[in-house]
Amino acid sequence: MRIVIAEDLFLLREGLVRLLSAHGFEIAAAVASAPELLQALVEQRPDVAIVDVRLPPTHTDDGLRAALQARARIPGLPVLILSQYVEQLYARELLADQAGGVGYLLKDRVFNDEAFTAAIRTVAAGGTVLDPEVVGKLMTRRSRDEPVARLTPREREVLALMAEGRSNVAIAQRLFITEKAVSKHAAGIFAKLDLALSDDDNRRVLAVLAYLGS
Amino acid sequence: MLFAIVLLLTIGCIAFILAREGQGGPRPNGLRGYIRARGWGLLLLPVAMAAAVMAGGAHGLIPAELGIAVLAVVFAPKLAAKLVPYGVLGLAVFGVMLAKTYRDGNTSKVQYLFVHAGPGAWGSRPVLAEAGVLFAVGLWLLLRLDAPGAGLFRALAARWLDRRRGGISAAQALLLVPVAGLAMQLLGPGNWFGIGAVDGLDAAVIDLAVATAAVVLIFRSRAWAATLAAAGLLVLGTYGWLIAVFWPAVPGFEYGFSDLANSSTPTPLWTDALEGSLLLALGLWLAPRVMRHHLVGPHDLELAARAQQLTKRVQTLTKTRYDAVDTAAAELRRIERDLHDGAQARLVAVGMSLQAAERLFPTSPEAALALVAEAKESSSRALAELRDLVRGIYPPVLADRGLADAIRALALDAPLPVELDIDLHGEVELPVASAVYFSVAEVLANAEKHARARSVRIQLSHTLLAGGGGLAGGGGMLRAQVTDDGWGGADPAQGTGLAGVERRLVAFDGILAVNSPPGGPTIVVIEVPCALSSPKTSSC
Repeated sequence: MRIVIAEDLFLLREGLVRLLSAHGFEIAAAVASAPELLQALVEQRPDVAIVDVRLPPTHTDDGLRAALQARARIPGLPVLILSQYVEQLYARELLADQAGGVGYLLKDRVFNDEAFTAAIRTVAAGGTVLDPEVVGKLMTRRSRDEPVARLTPREREVLALMAEGRSNVAIAQRLFITEKAVSKHAAGIFAKLDLALSDDDNRRVLAVLAYLGS
Repeated sequence: MLFAIVLLLTIGCIAFILAREGQGGPRPNGLRGYIRARGWGLLLLPVAMAAAVMAGGAHGLIPAELGIAVLAVVFAPKLAAKLVPYGVLGLAVFGVMLAKTYRDGNTSKVQYLFVHAGPGAWGSRPVLAEAGVLFAVGLWLLLRLDAPGAGLFRALAARWLDRRRGGISAAQALLLVPVAGLAMQLLGPGNWFGIGAVDGLDAAVIDLAVATAAVVLIFRSRAWAATLAAAGLLVLGTYGWLIAVFWPAVPGFEYGFSDLANSSTPTPLWTDALEGSLLLALGLWLAPRVMRHHLVGPHDLELAARAQQLTKRVQTLTKTRYDAVDTAAAELRRIERDLHDGAQARLVAVGMSLQAAERLFPTSPEAALALVAEAKESSSRALAELRDLVRGIYPPVLADRGLADAIRALALDAPLPVELDIDLHGEVELPVASAVYFSVAEVLANAEKHARARSVRIQLSHTLLAGGGGLAGGGGMLRAQVTDDGWGGADPAQGTGLAGVERRLVAFDGILAVNSPPGGPTIVVIEVPCALSSPKTSSC
């Protein structure tokens, strides 16, 4: 799997390269600024891009904006954004095109390399991975929107884990229920959110988006 | 004799009234109450008595004036009181006229209140003195009793005494009086600058016009009265010298205190020169003062007003600067404490865990691995704490995207539904943006925590102010309004939250207005003067 890495701090960039190489990923390019990232993405067309939000030249959200620009040019280009902080605002912007293949994680999730590489694979496969901290904020929100408010507490739990990018198997393990029960809850969620039958991954993305938009 | 008795009785009554007046309360019954009710009106009796005596009324009988006065005091005490000052003033005028008749050759003797008036210096001068005293007493009574006309007199006096109007003093403006007097004399009947061209009614009309113009000018505009006085002094003074030097080529019958009408002797000429010199000297003294007033006066006043404004501003700035420094110091202390107890302590723990793992590695790799996992956990916690700390110092979205998006992010993170209405066409400079952001965040947190609101509406807008460019703000006003449907009762005076918000805003000349009746809704308005810069070009 070919990966482009964008991170301006040398230590972190090298650390990521070493970690991902050790797990058998192929590093197509490791860049340190937003313009370089855009160029690398357009030229290399990697399977997934791992991008720090804050990059030169302005050291604000250049990384995020470069990733969004790249996705506008190459629809569905899988992008995993890493950041020292997570914002629902940015998560919504990433998910806005409804194309999936989006991840948004805190940098310290890298510590857990198994979960991190799993997240990379999920994103590369077109799934959605949101940091538990973003999802946690969603859970505490008192929703006004009808469709989301109709979900049962269990369904909300399942939806939250879906947003974190977990598979049905992982959700079943986590909630101590059978995989079949998870599928049943998922079907309930899709029905309540009026998501028509389509491929499961895309419906998951739309469900998470509905959740974020509430 | 009768007069003396009436006067003594009246003065006794007035003294009684004055002594009792301050006590207030219900009016006593009987004679005392009756006298007290009549009050100042009783003074009408001696006034009428004096008038009757002077008019040469029948001695020993009660004259008509006194009878009318008694009727007025008994049946119309208020009217009587109002009449008293005018009676006294009338007596004063009568005294002046009486003195004039003695000068004109009147020889009859009259009792003028306390004075036996008659021809000659010893008969007429005490009359004038008494008339002056009566005039003063009349004015005092006019004001004291608030008789009709007192208001007008007070207004004129206040206007006249108001020293702050311009730099021209009352005395300087009053110099117009001698100027007008001399002008009237020079233009007067049989004189007309020595030619005698105008006489009779024409001269009287001219005199009247000059006198009226002078009086009106003195009361309407002190500065212009003084200006005209300076010009008149210079012109008339020069004219005096012209008479003195070139007479009879330059005609002049009367000039001030000298009269050349039937004289060819040079004696009056040097008095003309003396008077002319005096006038010129006064004119030369007054002219530069008047000029300075006209040229510099308004600017001086403007400068004084500006200085006052600036002084106030400096006081405000001194206080807010102190508050700002104080707040910043407190903030730094908090950050230091948070770092010390949080991230630093966790990093120490990480180091200790790793060190222990290193030692355990050869002997029990399993235990060492557990310690490494613990170290990872500790570093994660340290990062989380640093994240929260940074968010409290300067929220990342605010740094990345500016105020509008920071407020959007705030709304998204709020646990209750927040409706947004943002109308910002440009960037707010960072210090102001930060202050407004934290203020809105605090208000939002209050709505959720204290007011138990179910929904909140945040409006954010910027308006350009007409005629901007004042001391602060550069002509714009940033306005944030937070409205919640909670149970209200918020008070900036209680609790530190809103007071802190206010302190934060004051440093930028901002204000906080809270309208929170018990039962809600709560409306909090934040206004900070500031200009918007053009939006970031790189913004998406």
